[in-house]
Amino acid sequence: MSYHGGGHRKRRYQGADDHGHDHRRDTFDTPEQKLRKSIINLGEVDPVQELPRLANDIRAANDAALATGGPAIPAISEGFRIGVTEQPFKIPYYAALLRLLHDPPADPEATLPTDGSPTLGKQVLEDFWKGFQAFLDKLAWREIRFCIHFFSHCTVAGLVSSQTMFELLRSFTVVLQEFGVSHGRAMKAGLCAAEGLMIAGPIMLKSGADVTEIITAIRDYSESVISTKTLVHPVVKLHEPSPVIEHADELLDSALAVLNALKAEDFAQTADSFAQPYVDFPAFSAAPFEVPSVLVPPEVIELDGLTTETGEDAQVKKEEWPAYFVRLFDNDVTPDPTTPSGYAIKSAILDILDVFEVNRKECARLLLEYPKWTLQGTFKPRPGAPEQEPVPEKNWQLENTVIEVTLGSIFLLPESTYKPIYYITLITEICKLSPQTVGPAVGKSIRKLYGLLSDGLDVEVAHRFAEWFSVHMSNFGFAWVWKEWVPDVSLSVRHPKRRFVRKALEYEIRLSYFDRILKTLPEAMQSPEAQCMPEDAPGPEYEYDDPSKPYHDAAQSLLSLLRGRTKAEDVVTHLDSLKNTISETAEGDVNVSTVVRTIAVQSLLHIGNRSFSHFLNAIERYLPLLRNIASGGGASTTGSSNIDARMDILNAVSGYWKRVRNMVVIVFDKLMQYQIVDPTDVVAWTFVYGEASTSAVGKTTFDSFQWDVLKGALDKANGRVTIARKKVTALRKEADDNAAKAIATEGAAMDVDAEAKADVMPVAESPALTTALKAFSTLTREQKAALSRALDGFVGYLAAADKPNPTAAEVITEDAWHNRVNWNEKQWETWETWCWFRHFCRAYSPYLRNYTQSLEEASVSKIGPSDPAVDLFKKTWNIATGQDI
Amino acid sequence: MAHVVTPLDQPSNYKDSQARLDRQRQNEILARSTTLYIGNLSFYTTEEQIYELFSKCTSPEEGGGIKRIIMGLDRNTRTPCGFCFVEYYTHAEALACLRYVSGTKLDERIIRCDLDLGYREGRQFGRGKSGGQVRDEHRQDYDPGRGGWGAQAQRLEIERRREVEERYADAQEGPGAVAGGGGDWKEAGTADNPLKRPRSPDDQGDNERAGARARMDDDHARM
Repeated sequence: MSYHGGGHRKRRYQGADDHGHDHRRDTFDTPEQKLRKSIINLGEVDPVQELPRLANDIRAANDAALATGGPAIPAISEGFRIGVTEQPFKIPYYAALLRLLHDPPADPEATLPTDGSPTLGKQVLEDFWKGFQAFLDKLAWREIRFCIHFFSHCTVAGLVSSQTMFELLRSFTVVLQEFGVSHGRAMKAGLCAAEGLMIAGPIMLKSGADVTEIITAIRDYSESVISTKTLVHPVVKLHEPSPVIEHADELLDSALAVLNALKAEDFAQTADSFAQPYVDFPAFSAAPFEVPSVLVPPEVIELDGLTTETGEDAQVKKEEWPAYFVRLFDNDVTPDPTTPSGYAIKSAILDILDVFEVNRKECARLLLEYPKWTLQGTFKPRPGAPEQEPVPEKNWQLENTVIEVTLGSIFLLPESTYKPIYYITLITEICKLSPQTVGPAVGKSIRKLYGLLSDGLDVEVAHRFAEWFSVHMSNFGFAWVWKEWVPDVSLSVRHPKRRFVRKALEYEIRLSYFDRILKTLPEAMQSPEAQCMPEDAPGPEYEYDDPSKPYHDAAQSLLSLLRGRTKAEDVVTHLDSLKNTISETAEGDVNVSTVVRTIAVQSLLHIGNRSFSHFLNAIERYLPLLRNIASGGGASTTGSSNIDARMDILNAVSGYWKRVRNMVVIVFDKLMQYQIVDPTDVVAWTFVYGEASTSAVGKTTFDSFQWDVLKGALDKANGRVTIARKKVTALRKEADDNAAKAIATEGAAMDVDAEAKADVMPVAESPALTTALKAFSTLTREQKAALSRALDGFVGYLAAADKPNPTAAEVITEDAWHNRVNWNEKQWETWETWCWFRHFCRAYSPYLRNYTQSLEEASVSKIGPSDPAVDLFKKTWNIATGQDI
Repeated sequence: MAHVVTPLDQPSNYKDSQARLDRQRQNEILARSTTLYIGNLSFYTTEEQIYELFSKCTSPEEGGGIKRIIMGLDRNTRTPCGFCFVEYYTHAEALACLRYVSGTKLDERIIRCDLDLGYREGRQFGRGKSGGQVRDEHRQDYDPGRGGWGAQAQRLEIERRREVEERYADAQEGPGAVAGGGGDWKEAGTADNPLKRPRSPDDQGDNERAGARARMDDDHARM
């Protein structure tokens, strides 16, 4: 294959520590560094051919080291350790290299101490094991898993005892049976055991190990978490009580399927799925390495003892969820991850995505070079490469496979491992490296995903799809063939496909500008009737611009004060008189306070509408004015008028920026930052007025704009608690350190009963700590209020006893779903509302769990009597909060 | 993880040539910096476009977000001259940009991001002789996104550009010309926040001390 081609440049594999800031090191590598580097660089040209030479070099280096002092074992095993944990695709070749190092030296006299001491290879393996122990102690799961791959290959090569290796894998399945094990921990441990068994299975089976034990443990675990799977599948079927089978594969379940398939054929397929470069070497006959027995240490939970006022545990434990990877292509185009070779390929690509997150450009290169590390015939040869006999059931498309796995990673629910933007710009880099081959794979992926929009693609996944699409297009001249989607313009405007087109274009406009994006569309999609594009270029909507509008003069007078930078107090005075004037002249039922607030807020936004920083300048200059408005104005404020005032502020903002909805989110964010409004106010606004900004008031549906607003508010509330917690922890540590120092000083001076004294003299809380603790309790109260208000909102929309929503019960039935081609706007909107509720539950589950009981008392109690909608609502809530369903 | 490839979030050779700090001190500041210098922008790129792209690296649930954006302006014409500063609330967000966004396109130009020592008064203006960035003084190529030819030809175009770019004609100099973007959360009712809302009964006691503390924090932030 031409992947080996001439494109290799040596410098790429040079370690970062080699060309850091100290240039002297570039020229003078110590022998240890050279040795390490040559091990890390194994396989630059052809791994198999390089092996004997590298083994000899290592021996020679070790001999040289022995002659001048001590053996080079630590440097060699460090090279192996780095190679294995940072280049997992090379692991089989490292096992082969280690196998060669187990042979006696060709020239026995070269190695001086031949008096029965272990071979170089064995010494390296023993030292490597110590490194593994250290990873295990730290619970560095990624490194642990790669080391297990390495040991498993070594087992097949005969270097490690099959019996003891099996015991090692079993100690990971023990984790699956721990009481109350977190899903994240169980999945990581399960994958260690499963992948080890996939690689070393043939030899373990031969040595009589009961491999079913491992398989059963994984199966039992997988079955015990079946209900959580329904909540994180990328394709939603609200009527299905069990997880959907099509369109996506869960990672641990894939591993389980692979093990079952392997076992059915006595692990014959292992050799066909994993490279085994060591099998061509003569069988290793000496005594293998006995793996010491290990215990996977328990998870360390840092107990900071911080609880909320009502005693709830405020610590956020991120429970990980089952990992469903969306499937876009057929099994003959990209490999099926539930087959042995498919799993090997896809998990190897996932590992490259994970390890090389630090450098997306290198990651892109390594992904396109990945076929080099796979078995012959795995992927179709590149165009122009020598023809080869296609291997049946393989011969997959590299680019489609890479893009499918990368997109699968973006779309993981409730959130991707890294920020979506990482995977998005990684795909950009892959495209830049090989546009002719990757471009079509990207295009096909977009079409497949677009197709899935009709079949229940989760709204959050659709959201990320639009985000990826727009950022990707912004890197490639916004060149998309929109015309193939023209026929879909006839669908309901609330159909997910229409929503996608609208959203993707909106995001493109944000990254570019209206006219530029309009130009990229076919005429049929440009017209306002098509409702693909906004009617006008984005801009503000100042209600008082037109002289014929009411309050035009009042607004103008205020504007000129603000433009003239009149002092805030004077503006407040002016507003008071304005209020009097308006109430004297107003006709009919006018809420004068609301009118004045709206004029004030919109005028403030108006003077700051030129840019984000103009906006910041305007509100920063008039913070006292905003605070005055938010408190209801004047001295005689009561609690209820405050909330009205803050809703008026938020409504004024949303009215002013109604054609630029991301500005609403941005302005709300800063209003919370400046503490003009609280996150709970914004949450309340989302449910009461959020939908009204686009359509009629009183609707009970939730869309992606409302989600953006809600997320902004909840993240703000949660982020504040995070900061407050860090502050308390830091101050406590500081206090402890000072106390320790004081005791040490005292102890040195008196040297008697120092410890006893420390016990009786509690360290006084510093004022800073008192403040920080008070802030923490205020902020957790606020956090709970915001979450509670959000849950309340969803109860009200979908399942409230006093506001039954028949559509909510209707769209979740199987019949309704199959009839979705005939759905009207309301039905699609309600379906979308359900999806956002699900996402709210799973995305904020770590926070909701802390407050489960009080949230249930406050909100879930308002739910109506059992009906399909109520039952689904409760079930979703229970799954997210980890309760029995 | 750094033996095999160089992470993209390592500090580059970018520096503020007018910083009056020794190298070690600069490195310490960069290791905590929340500010990015963004270069190679089109003169026509808006803060909203910048916000849209750079908000993809924020971690609001960690207390992060975009604090402010400071558009780089031509000293004489007060028009954007192709760079800006993006300030976050956390260092991790700035690093994420180096890894994920630097080297990708914004407004159809490949932009670069570098950790910056932090905004100081006056840094919003170009330092070239003609008022823009120094790099545009020496540029030989025709670059439509950056005013066409280098500084010479650019002057001819100023009239045409003014219409589009009078946005920043009101840009001020001196202290307080640039907004802060909002600081950390503070307890209501402290001296800093007099108009926030009425005190609740359980608020009494520490207010004065808390206020003093908050003011100290503020001074700290200003340094």
